[in-house]
Amino acid sequence: MSQVLKREVVYAVTGLVTVLMFVEYFFFAETWSLAETIRTWAVIVYNISLGLGAIQLLRQHTLNLQRKRTNYGYSAVVLAFFAIMFLTGMMGYLATGQQTDNGIYNWLFVNVYTPLGATLYPITGFYIFSAAYRAFRARNIDAALMLIAGCFVILSNAPVGEAIWPGFATIGEWFKFTGQIPGMRTFAMVGALGMIAYGFRALLGKEKGFYAGGGDE
Amino acid sequence: MTFAIMIITFGVMYYYMSISKKSDFKIRTLPAMLAIPEAVGRAAEMGKPVFWTPGIGGGLNNATQGPQILASISILEYLTEECVKAGVRLDAFCPLPDALPLVEETMRTAYLSQGKPEEFDIESITFISGQSAYLSGVLGYFQRERPASNILMGGFYYESVVIGEAGNAIEAMQIGGTNNTHQMPFLVATCDYMLLAEELFAASASVSGDPEMIGSIKGEDIIKLLLVAMTGVGFLLGAAGITVIADLLGV
Repeated sequence: MSQVLKREVVYAVTGLVTVLMFVEYFFFAETWSLAETIRTWAVIVYNISLGLGAIQLLRQHTLNLQRKRTNYGYSAVVLAFFAIMFLTGMMGYLATGQQTDNGIYNWLFVNVYTPLGATLYPITGFYIFSAAYRAFRARNIDAALMLIAGCFVILSNAPVGEAIWPGFATIGEWFKFTGQIPGMRTFAMVGALGMIAYGFRALLGKEKGFYAGGGDE
Repeated sequence: MTFAIMIITFGVMYYYMSISKKSDFKIRTLPAMLAIPEAVGRAAEMGKPVFWTPGIGGGLNNATQGPQILASISILEYLTEECVKAGVRLDAFCPLPDALPLVEETMRTAYLSQGKPEEFDIESITFISGQSAYLSGVLGYFQRERPASNILMGGFYYESVVIGEAGNAIEAMQIGGTNNTHQMPFLVATCDYMLLAEELFAASASVSGDPEMIGSIKGEDIIKLLLVAMTGVGFLLGAAGITVIADLLGV
């Protein structure tokens, strides 16, 4: 029975939804109410899965704390903040009828979560810098060409480049728009074709990963 | 026209899948997929775990990111099987709640197929929602556990360069893969091997050895060839002032 549920029913649902979406996209210009309803279900399922994720998170950190594993203190912090955010959100909702627009929840979100996220984002600059250093070492002819192109692009972006020689901006712009875009569009086109092929194989039950390892043998 | 291209694509792929058992098609090997057993072997020698993550580009119902996540999960199955064979721990960081059950089931099935279902530990899958929290979690994990090999395949945003560089800092062997053109340069710069664009979707077919899967790749290549020819002819005709192909494609 479980194999029937895992394979045949999943195949049938996948096939049905695919046909519905295909027909709707090409013949109803995305206005078919049945397909719209299915898309709404997808959003609902996504939100239910968020609850599943929360349970997984709580389970893992509770076990860390119970068994006093290495760095279990961090798990205590996660659980404490989870409880605080959940309770303030729920209490605020019960008191004001607003889901997230209540004082304490908003204060925590705007003054704790947002600044922490905003702090993490700029460190990307340092990582890009070290990645560029690694990529721009002229180990072979390809890497040397990339180094030259990279130098032009950097000098076209930095104001000092144009101050040294106005031609840096022109050449850099050429690399960015004439040199790069055709390559990126090629990737986009073959990638789209790859997605269609993957979808087709999944529809025929050939992609085992799509069925969590339960696909056609 | 798009509808016609889709139907022709499906038809050609189906045809090549149906004749694949007789024709014995060959596709080129993908170095990134060949490197997976090497990455697992490295982890076995060092006694360290292997790390896998699909990125936080978007959920499964996202039109462009979803297929990449699914393709990554297809590769996860192969990776898990290799890890089970070598007795290596695989730590999966999944920041996408809707992909979480699929990741769990895929890993469980891979352990089962290798005859070691009792070794599957659900705690090897970590869920962290939110890009910043996910990144912090991965960076912390790298410093604490120092995995021997990192597999970064799926839909990535800016986390690709951060995770890739942090992986380099701990001297992990890294295999990347994405269809997001804006993240490809970062993964190319930080990873030892890379699956670019459609290679990510073809990877599971290449390692499966299944003639029908390989036949579908052959069909896809034929369509690609046709589209390239159409683009070239359209370009030449367009230069001569004949816009028949451009009109046909609506461009």
